[in-house]
Amino acid sequence: MLKDLVTPENANVFVGKLGDILEKAIGKPLGYAINWGRIWSLWPVHIETACCSVEFGAASSPRYDVERFGIIEAFGSLRQCDLVVVQGTITRKMAPRLRLVYDQMPEPKYVIAMGACAITGGLYFDSYNVLPGIDGIIPVDVYVPGCPPRPETLIQGCMLLQEKIKRMKARKFV
Amino acid sequence: MGGLTSTSKGLYNKGKIGMTFKLPPGLALQKVDERIMTLNVGPQHPGSGHMRLIVQIDGDYIVACDPDPGYVHRGEEKMAEYRNYILNIPHLERPVIHDSCNVLYPYVLGSEEILGIEVPERAKYVRVIASELNRCIYIMYWLAIYGIFLGHSTMFMWPAGDRELLIDLMEKMTGARVTHAHFVPGGVRNDLPPNFEDVCLRQVNYFEKRIKEYAAIFYDNPILIARTRDTGILSRQDAIRYGTTGSVLRASGVDYDLRVKEPYDVYEELDVHTNVMKEGDSYARSKIPWLDMLESCNIIRQALQKMPKSGSVRTKLKPNPKGKGLDSVYKRVESGRGSLGCYIVSDGKVEPYRVKLSVPSFRNLIALPNLLRGEKLGNMPSVYWSLNYWPVEADR
Repeated sequence: MLKDLVTPENANVFVGKLGDILEKAIGKPLGYAINWGRIWSLWPVHIETACCSVEFGAASSPRYDVERFGIIEAFGSLRQCDLVVVQGTITRKMAPRLRLVYDQMPEPKYVIAMGACAITGGLYFDSYNVLPGIDGIIPVDVYVPGCPPRPETLIQGCMLLQEKIKRMKARKFV
Repeated sequence: MGGLTSTSKGLYNKGKIGMTFKLPPGLALQKVDERIMTLNVGPQHPGSGHMRLIVQIDGDYIVACDPDPGYVHRGEEKMAEYRNYILNIPHLERPVIHDSCNVLYPYVLGSEEILGIEVPERAKYVRVIASELNRCIYIMYWLAIYGIFLGHSTMFMWPAGDRELLIDLMEKMTGARVTHAHFVPGGVRNDLPPNFEDVCLRQVNYFEKRIKEYAAIFYDNPILIARTRDTGILSRQDAIRYGTTGSVLRASGVDYDLRVKEPYDVYEELDVHTNVMKEGDSYARSKIPWLDMLESCNIIRQALQKMPKSGSVRTKLKPNPKGKGLDSVYKRVESGRGSLGCYIVSDGKVEPYRVKLSVPSFRNLIALPNLLRGEKLGNMPSVYWSLNYWPVEADR
């Protein structure tokens, strides 16, 4: 019966429909499982943009140890990473590079804006070489305020991001 | 970049390259341009920091290196021209937030001279203690990153953990973890908390005992010695000629420490010993900061002993203090990286006319291309980070 329905002309449509049906049937439980996997293995890119990198480094130190929440230390390749922690001020020279790094990363990818400078320009709001916030160049998931934020605040931001990923719809898994 | 290519070509054409970089035996120097590969190290790279190194390599050997700083240029000197003397404090300490007391020190000394303020004796001692504690915090962070650059994860974990004890001490003293904004023209912002002297002495003694253990795991480690001995040798003449400062200069055998040569505040009443090594290689440059930390512990103990037990720590300023007229002052201090100068010009208004920072990081960076020429690519992180370089400070 299936053989009669499917012809070379409408095979693509048929497979697409099948995908839709599959997604409707198992999308929710499978999406939950996929998101669960994403939550506990967030790989940050090692791009240091300004002075907040000191507190980002302190967050992986033995006292704070962000690795126990599933945020792995930033030493991987760009192509394996799925998290950008924008560590502070973005200058006009750094902005194209940040966008380039973001574009080179595979989907899904998340962005944490760390520090007042990454959010609004912060202390350098009237400087001639500083962007007033990074949301003009890349989409931001979580804002972590502070100048610089304490490592605890950064960890809380990471946990908020995990909460957000848990509620996201997992796309493109079939 | 253009300049760099022409230099390297010029070197090849003159046939002088054999003197500056070593080729493996059996390889002839033919078709030079095809053999050279250009690598971009940074700004997204685990071994670069906030800057880019354009490295030209021939096989495994570095032919030329062109550092490209400026990724964190935030115009702090310009911003200082439209803020008054007090409002300038927070943004002028941001270049090196983990050494924030030292990076603010020359500005505060200079603006005191311009505004004509006397500093109480106790405040000077509090400043010395804060400055030395901050130097230790800075060097511990530097050491942690140096360890992880060399692939020595334990050397990241130990200093990063021990550093937190001193950060706790500074937090008790100033109220902030890293950005203290503690020094103000006229003294320090707050008096020491009650019972601080005892806690500080206990903590510093423990810290000194703890960092002596680093020798066994890091400085006597044969792998570290193999990777850093005789790499990136900076001779005494070159170190002076390039204008390097701080630990880089002292590792090349020059006995130069501003705390001894040009003592500021109460350093002349304290007994400061300068650590000098003669080798001038990466190993010496990595060991000098560690010796400096031990020296800092001595200075803190002396300062705690000699400090007046009570008294004011801050001379109150009038709102919006002004300079006396056309005036300029240049002050410099020994920071965690070297001599850090601040040049302030005043024209009698509430804002300074010009603030110029002369930073040690940028001076030390000048030596980098010459140190890397002829080295193996694998030695690049150990040479680069041994220069005690913090990119954010170099860019200002």
